[in-house]
Parts: sequence; structure tokens; C-alpha cells
Amino acid sequence: MPLPKVDAVVIGAGAAGPIVAKELAFAGWRVVLLEKGRWHTSADCRKDDLRNQRNPTLGYPFGPEEEGNPRVFVDLNGRERIVKPSEPGYNNNAFCVGGGTLSYGAMAWRFHPNDFRMRSTYAAKVPRAFENSTLEDWPISYEDLEPFYEKAEWEIGVSGDLSGDPFKGPRRRALPMPPLPPTREHEILEKGARRLGLHPFSIPMLRNSVPYNGRPACMRCRWCVGFACEVDAKNGTQNTVIPAALATGNLELRTECSVREILLDEKGDAAGVAYFDREGRPWEQPARYVVVSCGAIESARLLLNSRSRLYPQGLGNRFDWVGRNLQGHTYTGANGLFEEIVYDDLGPGASIAICDFNHGNPGLAGGAMLANEFIRLPYQFVSGIRAPGVPRWGRAHKEFVRRAYRRIIPVLGPTQEIPVFDSRVTLDPRVRDRFGIPVARISGYRHPHSIEVSEYMAERAADWLRASGAVKVWLRRAGRGVSGGQHQAGTCRMGRDPKTSVVDPWCRVHDTANVYVVDASVHVTNGGFNPVLTIMAIAYRTGAHLARAGRRA
Amino acid sequence: MKAAAAALVLGLALLLMIPAASFLYEAGGPDACARCHEMGAPVGEWRHSTHRGTPCSACHGDALTAGARFHLANARRVVQHWRGEAGELAPLGPEGIRAMLPRCQKCHQQEFASWSSGPHSITYRSIFLDEKHNSTRHLMDDCLRCHGMHFDGGIRDLVEPLSIKGPWRLRRPELLEEPAIPCLACHSIHRRGALHEERRLEAKIAGPRQEKFRPSLVFFDRRSMAPVDVALLPLPAMIDGARPVKTSPDPRQALCYQCHAPLSTRQVFSGDDRTPAGVHEGISCLACHDKHRQTTRASCANCHPRLSNCGLDVEKMDTTFLNKDSRHNIHTVKCADCHPRGVPARRARP
Amino acid sequence: MPGRAPILYDSVKPIKGGGCLKRRSFLAGSLAAASACRSKPAPAAGYRFLTQAEVATLGAWVDTLIPPDEDPGARGAGVVRYIDLQLTRWFRRHQSSYREALARIDRWARSRAGRGFAELPPDTREELLSLMEQGEADRDHFPDGGKGAFELVLAHAMQGFYGNPRHGGNRGYASWKMIGVPPVPVRGREHYEAARTFPEKS
Repeated sequence: MPLPKVDAVVIGAGAAGPIVAKELAFAGWRVVLLEKGRWHTSADCRKDDLRNQRNPTLGYPFGPEEEGNPRVFVDLNGRERIVKPSEPGYNNNAFCVGGGTLSYGAMAWRFHPNDFRMRSTYAAKVPRAFENSTLEDWPISYEDLEPFYEKAEWEIGVSGDLSGDPFKGPRRRALPMPPLPPTREHEILEKGARRLGLHPFSIPMLRNSVPYNGRPACMRCRWCVGFACEVDAKNGTQNTVIPAALATGNLELRTECSVREILLDEKGDAAGVAYFDREGRPWEQPARYVVVSCGAIESARLLLNSRSRLYPQGLGNRFDWVGRNLQGHTYTGANGLFEEIVYDDLGPGASIAICDFNHGNPGLAGGAMLANEFIRLPYQFVSGIRAPGVPRWGRAHKEFVRRAYRRIIPVLGPTQEIPVFDSRVTLDPRVRDRFGIPVARISGYRHPHSIEVSEYMAERAADWLRASGAVKVWLRRAGRGVSGGQHQAGTCRMGRDPKTSVVDPWCRVHDTANVYVVDASVHVTNGGFNPVLTIMAIAYRTGAHLARAGRRA
Repeated sequence: MKAAAAALVLGLALLLMIPAASFLYEAGGPDACARCHEMGAPVGEWRHSTHRGTPCSACHGDALTAGARFHLANARRVVQHWRGEAGELAPLGPEGIRAMLPRCQKCHQQEFASWSSGPHSITYRSIFLDEKHNSTRHLMDDCLRCHGMHFDGGIRDLVEPLSIKGPWRLRRPELLEEPAIPCLACHSIHRRGALHEERRLEAKIAGPRQEKFRPSLVFFDRRSMAPVDVALLPLPAMIDGARPVKTSPDPRQALCYQCHAPLSTRQVFSGDDRTPAGVHEGISCLACHDKHRQTTRASCANCHPRLSNCGLDVEKMDTTFLNKDSRHNIHTVKCADCHPRGVPARRARP
Repeated sequence: MPGRAPILYDSVKPIKGGGCLKRRSFLAGSLAAASACRSKPAPAAGYRFLTQAEVATLGAWVDTLIPPDEDPGARGAGVVRYIDLQLTRWFRRHQSSYREALARIDRWARSRAGRGFAELPPDTREELLSLMEQGEADRDHFPDGGKGAFELVLAHAMQGFYGNPRHGGNRGYASWKMIGVPPVPVRGREHYEAARTFPEKS
């Protein structure tokens, strides 16, 4: 059933889509924002170890629903299985208004300038990172994104103190809010880092440390990452750009709408989208522009599902690049056991970081930021942390938990992954979701060099913990399977050459005049940092570009 | 015509079936209730509770309860039960909470009257439609932690618009005059303890020890939808600058601290904290504040005629009671506030 | 692969042994209950799925994994109740695994030590579970050496003991008490004036 035509339809109300929608709505465009999930409150996610966005033992509170949204996962041995959202291999991010930003940890990193030119930086120095990989430079630079990083920091709201980070890219303006006061872990790790000659500083976070944007400061509860903020101090799109855009009267947000495909006209440009509402009724929303912001897995799936006479292999997929280069981060690090109690119950937990090892590591391409972890709830602790030699159960295990729970600091970092052409999202030929739409099929592996770098990073985390006084330190290593998860990226690569990329430097799908992909799908590489601020900056950049250059009625 | 009559009869029969089923269910007493696994734990607790002399129906209602909501809720539970969808806990929703109030009142007349005349009987209207508050501060889910803790939704389901512009209205107007901090915010009826009837004991044991033999104090923590025993709630180690502040060990205060809470820095008087840190340091909240009314006026006289050396009429002192901005805030007032040139030596008692 | 019929999501993984609980409606359910459930063993009083004997065996099993000491063990903290509840909800697909595993470990205990698993002294129970952990249980009783059943119960026991009490385990916040962190913190909020609005106004 066709609806009145609008200037733009944005698909996905996660980190990126609402920013584009807001930029366009503020420019006077009439915009429809479609979201597959619901608009949640924290009442939908009780403070529960077993049911939150980080631990789905009993399901995901912020979507997707366990039934009706399967994916297919192919493991390293080529065995395929149908996976539900809470099962390993699904590589979930949230499906809801705000997307991951409703319940994330909220680290607000800018990528390092070298993260945008991995080929130029490492082609000569580390040739093995380029064997069987698609490691490449971005077509845009840190300098191109800098003003939009700044805009994201001020508009969404970032606290922190970067003055102690000598490795950061040039910036014109400081962060709008100071960091939260340090935790006990912060103080312990700061001394250790200084002892090693490293450069520790307060992590930039999309979290109010003082009242900002009309909302209060963080009250420092322990239920942060994986949960929605009860005091609205965690800044996501759901409490910033979405209400602001709705207030203009130019944006209509429709929740529980699942887009089936992008509709094309006879010239091969988008005419609108076809979607199902919560009752499963089909609708067509005509639009002058279509912006796809569903996350790396679902954006690729939507393009692949948008087949037509002109694009029988899916929109933007003439050269078989849609869905390729799926990457996330290879998280490794170490746990340190201390004599004294290090736990002080001050949220969010993560507080201190170093960027000494993001680049310039001997013989390695890239690296990672290292930081202490968010607060561990008891079941998270038990399922993730155990000292070597401690049995998995029985008296000794219980004694370990009792004694060690408040004495362990984990330090972890997201190693920048070397993209692989065969790590990919395709459509499963048989399995369909509750609306009968073919589902994403995830397959591939991690590049061996990603593992190599991540091992090096684990050793650096261990050094840091030892220097901070840990009496026992053990490593946390990574598996070799394909990665995606909450940091999923890369499946609609940005580039100048339509033969080796999916979108142009303004995020427009090469083949079309009016389809844009705006989310981490366009990342050529994913940095050694949490990617959300980069996703937001790209969204601001594309939103501003569209509002300026686009044609509307 | 015939079909309509048949449908009518069938409809009536179905309608009657719900209370009839309730009746059948209740006829067996608490054991019958406990046959359903959802009820096993609460009935087990109730058996050892202060309220074990009170039958289930006195608080939870029975087949004769007027009100379609009650019976519909029961019918819904039965369906959930059969589908295997009922949770381990069967917590009371806002309707159940509302229905509890007169039932609590039936036995606890004095406490109910005190609560009704005190600030904790504040309504949803006064809390959530306060113009001064709403035009200067952001309404958020955390508001519901201490007011409206039993509300089964988020703040967006309760108030609109969520902006500082207003005008505001409740999306659930039936809650307007309902109390936002009902009995069950602070009390759990099923906690293990001595029978309520044993007044003999109660008269002998007062203060914090009462909670030990007749415990009921809990904080209903909406973040996990469960009442948390006061014994599990922390008493924060407060500080004044760098100085540790002496606090009373009265465990009942842990309940007060859940809402009248300091910031995470634990500084006295930060956030909503009211920890006494002056001359009254170390005194329990409940030494002065009446449990249900929260009034304090009469309590000064409990101590002062006997202990004070100043000869002041405590009833007429310029404290926070008479003047909100008093320099002699009862929680912070220090000896030096009245004796700037040094505190005179204590006179020996005759 | 082409040529095969598309698979719709709900026909992919039939839930084994969950027939009694997969009711589409109340009426259909109560009719089905009368017939289909008759063949199923009766749950213990106050339980949804586990029989009296299974409750005893599983209690001994989880209490060996998380034994009582100065703090409650898994059984005392309600872990059996957590598993029983989830077996009728989130873990329906594990119903038959539990039914089998509990019968097998009991038979194995009887053939090895002459007594049911629940009646064995803690040391012997530990011994048996260690063998299962290594996949070295008697193959006559556990075709996979017991590894699968061991891992399943271990994961669920840890969840029940360390997870939130609202799911039936961790009674009285036993594990929070044990680790020395109050289950509910004291947290106030700063008062402030919401004078500022969203930075960019059109």
C-alpha cells in the first residue's frame, strides 16, 4: 500500500540513521525513520545478570526477539547452523530505537589518523598483513572527519580528558565535559602506566559527567554496559538527536517496521522502500532518498535482498562487494589479581586508557587502545574470569570467586582487524525470517595477522597490570572465527572505484543516484577503537552533505 | 433468536466460571494456593511470617471480591500458567498494590493514619505533575525508583511530554490520586517473624530490635522487581570532606538511605542525603523521625530537656522546621554555629 | 541447495519433549493436558518439570558443583528451582537432555557405588563429575563420556547461583552476600537546573 512520498526515508534508528534524519529534518526535509525494534525504557530491562544486551543467557531485552529472526552461521570447519539471537554466532547488536547506543558502554573514540591510511602506513613495513587481505586506505582522511567528530562530541555529548594522550589526531576543540572522578582501578592503573613510561588518560565517554543537554550527570551505578540508563545520563541517539528531530515536526519515527527491500524505478534509482509493520501488513513508502543504516550485517542483507532486473545480485552488488570484509574487533588483554580490594562499585567501571600501542608496534600493522573493563556483575565474572589452575567448579572455584571478585582488574583492547574478502554476509538460500525475507548468512575467519597483533596487545595489557602491582596475571586470547558483534563493520566498503567498493566517499551507493549507506558498513578498516563516534561523525558528514547537495520537493 | 439466547447463556456461564474457579481454588486454603508452583514460595514464606494468622484472601482478595480487574487478572494468570509463561515470582502490579491499601489499613489503623498524614502518602499527581520540578528538571526512569516503584512501565509510559515545556499529563489518569509510595514500598508482608498478635512482645521491644523479631522492612527495588530485605541493604560509610562521619548502626536507616541517598562520593548532604553531621551526628533517622508520619517535632523533647545545657526552648528553635533556609539545619548544625567564640564548658549537674 | 523448499523460522528446530508446554491456547492446552501429559512423569510438589527423584539427584549434582560452606551451596540457593523454571521456559529444548542425564547419572552411580547419586558422599559425587568433565564416564551410561551433560548442568548451575534472584535461583542474594557487594547500592542524584536544551536549534 503506497503512502505519501517523503524527501527521505531512513532505515534503522541506531547510531547513524537518526543523525542523518535529524540533519535532514533540521534542514526542512520531510523524513520518515523506520526502526525494526521498539522504543524501550529501562523498565524493559531489569538489572539482571542473565538478561541484558551483554548477556543474553535468557534473551535480549532490546532485541531482536528470540523467535522469528534467525541467521545462519558457518563456522571455521564449514559447518552451518541456524542461530537464534541469543546463540553464539549470531553477532547481534540491538534492534531498537537508539540501537546499540541505548545500552552501550559509550566509549567515544576518534580513530587515529593512521587508521584511515593503513595501506600507506604498513604496505612496505608489514607485507604479511596484506597477504590474502583487503587492507586498504580510506578514500577520506581524519582531517575530513575532524569537524564532524567535534560535532558528535558536542551534540551527543562526550566527557573525558584527552590532554594526556600524545598520540591523538589534531583537534580544534576540547571535549564539552570533564571526566568522571577516577575509580580505584583508575588510580592503581595510572601509577602502573607511569611506571612503564606510558601515557594514561581518562577515556572519552558519551556519558554526562555533569548536567548536559538538559539531562543529569551519571550517578555511577554498576548497571551500565548492556543496560539502558535510568537517569538518562548515557547519551545515545534515543535521547539526543531523535527527540530533537521529532520536535521539528519534520520527522516521523515508525517503530516495529521491517524493511523488505529498496524499491527501484526503471532507471535503477530508488523509488522508496517496502516494509512490514508490526502486524505484518505490507506497506510502500515512496521517497526521494533512501538511507540504509541497519548495521553492517543487516544493511548488507537489505542491499542483497533488493534485487531487480538491473541488479539481479542485489543493489550495489554488481562487482560482488556487498557483504564482503565483515570485521569487528579482536578483543584481547589480561586479567590481574591484586592483594588488595580494587573494586569500589563505581560505575561505569571503564575509566582509564592508553593509546601507546595503537600504531608503531614492531613488525605489526596496527594495534589497539587498551583500557580497564566495565563493572563485572557476578555471573559475568564467573563466566568470563578464572585464574589458571583454578578448577571450573567445586570448593576451590567457589573460594576463588569469593576471594577474587573484588580483587581482579581486566584490561582489554579492540585490536584493529585486517579485513578479509571471504569474511562475509550473504543471503541464506533457504532460511527466512518471520516475514519470509531471506536471512543473513555469516561466514569467514580472522586474518592471521589480526591474531598476531592481538597476542601482542594481550602481552602489553599483562605488562601494564604487572607494573600496577598485580600478584598474578593471565592473558585473555581471541578465537580465530569471523568477528562482527557489536562492532560489526566493513560490509559496504567506501571507495572511489566502483569495482572495489560499494559506496562513494559520501556514502552513496555507486550505481544509484539516491541510495546511501550510513553506518559502520562503510568502514574500510575499523580502527583500534570502539567505532561509535566514527559512525556518528560519518553520519553527520553525510547528513550535512545531503542537506546541502540533495534535491527535495 | 435461539442462537442469541444460547450465546447469552454460554457467555454468562463463562463469565461465572471465572469466580467459580477462584472459589474452588480458595476452598482448599493456603495449601490449595501452593499447589501452583508460582505460589509455592510465597505460601511457604507466609507460613513463617508475621502474617501467618491472616488468610491469603484477607490481603489478596477472594471469589467474592467485586471488581472485574481482579478476576480478569486471575484469569490471565491461569492462562499464563497453562502456557508455562508465568514467572517464578508473582509480584503484585499497580492494581494489586492499590487493592492492598485498605486491607493493610484494616489491621494497622494507627500506622495507616500516620502514613496518610505524612509526606510519604504523596500521590502520583503531586510527584509527576509538579510544574516547578518538571520545568527545571528532566523526568527520567530513575524517578520511579523512589516514587511509583510498582508502576509497570517506564517514565515515558507515565508522563507526557517528557520535556521541560509542559503542560504535563499522566498517561494513566487512574493513577492521579494513588499514593506513589504505598505500604509495600517499604514493607514485605511475607517476611519471617513473630506473629503480629504478640503485642506483649512488641510493647517490650522498641527501636531497631523490633525489626529483628517482627521484620517487615524491605526496599521494593523496581530494578529487579523484588523486595530486598533491609538486612541486605548497605549503610553507606559517610564522609564530610575527608573526615569519616559517625553514623548510627540502626539497620532500619538502610531503607531511608535508598532514597534519601548521597551521591556516589558519599559526602554528607550531597544529593538527597540528610545524614546528621553536626551536634546530632551518630543519631539514627528514626530517633527523630516518626516511622510513618516522618514528623519530628515532638522528638526533640525526648532528649533535650535532659541533655541540653543551653537552656533553649527546643520547640521554638530556628531549625529547618520553621525555616527551610535556617542556618541551624538540624542535620548540620554544629556547636560552633551558636557558640562562635567557643563552646562553654559543661556545667556540673546539681 | 537450490530447489529445496524455503524453511520458515518456526519449522526449523522442533522442540523435543516440550509438547505439553507448547500450547497455542488455554483451551487447547487444557484439553491436551488431559491426554498428552498423562504419559509424562508427574513433577514434584511445587516444581514444574522435575520429578521428586530428579529434584534430589539434580540437587546433589549442583551442590557438588557449588558446595555449601560458610555460604549456601547451589541447592540451598535455589539453583534447582532456577533450572526447573527455565526448563519450562527458556530452556525447553533441554528438557529431554535433563531427563536423560539425571536418569543416567543415577544408574551409573548405582552400578558403580551401589547407591543413587543423591545418596553418595560428596567425595564420590565429585569423583563421578570429574570423570564426566573429562568425558570419561562409563560409556554404557553416557555415550559421550558425560561431557555434554556435565557442561549443560555446570553452565545452568552457575547462572542460577550467580544470576538475579528473580529467575528462581540465588535465593536471598546468596552469591552477592558471598562476594561482599550489596545487591543494591546507595546512589543519589545531583540536583540541577535543566536550563540548557539541545545545542543546535533551527
